[in-house]
Amino acid sequence: MNDDSLIIYEEEIEKIDSILARLLKGAEAKCALMVDKDGHLITRQGFTHSLDTTALAALLAGSFASTKEIARLVGESEFSVLFHQGKKDHIHMSLVGDRSIMAVIFDDRTTIGMVRLYAKETAVELGRIFASLKARARTEGSGLSDEFAASAGNKLDDIFQD
Amino acid sequence: MVSINYATREVTCKIVYYGPGLSGKTTNLIYVHKKVPPTTRGKLISLATEADRTLYFDFLPINIGAINGFAAKFQLYTVPGQVYYNATRKLVLRGTDGLVFVADSQAEKMDENIESLTNLKENLEEYGYDLKEIPIVIQYNKRDLPGILSVAELDAKLNPLGWKSFGAEAVSGKGVFDTLKMIIKLVLEKAKTSRSTSSPARESAPVAERAAEEGAVGPAAAAYAASPTASGPIIEPSPASAGEPPQVRQPVYEAGKNEPVDEDVETSNEESVEYNTLDEERMAQSVGHPDGLSEPSPSDDVTSVEQTIPVSPEEKSQRPYPGSTTSRILRRERRITVSDFQPAAREEELMGFKSRMSAEDKRFDMVNTPDLPTPSMAPSQRLIRKKPGFFKRLFGIK
Repeated sequence: MNDDSLIIYEEEIEKIDSILARLLKGAEAKCALMVDKDGHLITRQGFTHSLDTTALAALLAGSFASTKEIARLVGESEFSVLFHQGKKDHIHMSLVGDRSIMAVIFDDRTTIGMVRLYAKETAVELGRIFASLKARARTEGSGLSDEFAASAGNKLDDIFQD
Repeated sequence: MVSINYATREVTCKIVYYGPGLSGKTTNLIYVHKKVPPTTRGKLISLATEADRTLYFDFLPINIGAINGFAAKFQLYTVPGQVYYNATRKLVLRGTDGLVFVADSQAEKMDENIESLTNLKENLEEYGYDLKEIPIVIQYNKRDLPGILSVAELDAKLNPLGWKSFGAEAVSGKGVFDTLKMIIKLVLEKAKTSRSTSSPARESAPVAERAAEEGAVGPAAAAYAASPTASGPIIEPSPASAGEPPQVRQPVYEAGKNEPVDEDVETSNEESVEYNTLDEERMAQSVGHPDGLSEPSPSDDVTSVEQTIPVSPEEKSQRPYPGSTTSRILRRERRITVSDFQPAAREEELMGFKSRMSAEDKRFDMVNTPDLPTPSMAPSQRLIRKKPGFFKRLFGIK
């Protein structure tokens, strides 16, 4: 099960970030998050400082997962695009590759049509990067050093004290 | 699946607390949240019913700090325990690195424990995980209650695979940290041992480069034109399944004015809170550029949307969609007046409008807007000729 660990390298993140930045500029959105379907945050761009991105990532992934289940019940394999509309801010989520989700948060300065248009384009581009990332992770391995677990063990006792 | 991010230098693991309903999974998380220093933990998020029963999951991120240059992060999840929430319970298990099985020590709850354990096995198998492979710690909770079975008895019934087990009282916190520490250790051990042993030669680099080149060279238009086929997993539901016409939430415009009216009015006019994906897809289809236009301009896009939406002529004149033909005409007809320069906010709004104009609009704007005075050209104080001897008169010098 650990064969398909999510391993992200700096070079790829730089590419993903620049693509996301281009999306934000083009669609005039506020921020964009890349989230793994398991709920891990991969990267983020734009005005995310006021957001709890870790929790957001987990909840977005959960929302996507439950929608997938709904899709299955109505006879679809998966809904590839999700949209949540609020009073001011809206979230557009789309599937990238087979295991990542791109969430774009935007407000009334732009329109859903613009976001959709750019998101669709971007998803294809990012899909390629994630495919290459997967291939790379498979050949290079996880890179967790042997002492990692041992060092962590010492630290745990300090943190988890009754 | 352990997530390793070399860019942010983070290792993230997902740990799921599993077990029958009311066995104390959420209580475990609440205790950890309460006792761990605030710098170490994030916010505890609980998707629960009004009666405090977990509906989907509870989520608590923990960052134990840098280890060998990597920040080790753990995401603790709980599942809903009730039997009938299996659909959501299964979703939470996706991509888990380790499990804590929280069992209820009371003798009368033994059947529920066994049922939950069987359910865990089934759900893991559906994801292709093996109960023997995945790190699991078992916690016998509620040791403080009367009518409990001994640890040896529980072990015999629930723990045939010999997982590490701990007795616990989640309410008082006894055994909670022991369980957590053990599962973290096991997860990290597992991440180490499962490390791929293939040669670290960078064979994949050319692959990555090639993909990057494709990404960089292929212009956006090409990607867009190719998207219907290239975006394999993107499923377009059939248009027949779409029901009502798409409702697009847009700022409400008043006939004469060119600025959105009050937010309250706007929201009261629009009832739809949740945007229908099907409608949206349908809209995308109607908007689609069949011949793969290079650089589809946003104004084209929205215009065609407008055509597809049945809007009465009267309504149309009152509520043009921004970027649609009607609103563009309004924008062109709009002349800049002196009052525009007074409040700073007004100017900012105007700038917003200008920056959103397409290239065509901008050209149009430049041609048709006569040279109007700009703030810098307003009569300057410097230009007002002062009477000679101003200072002399001011200071009373004769």
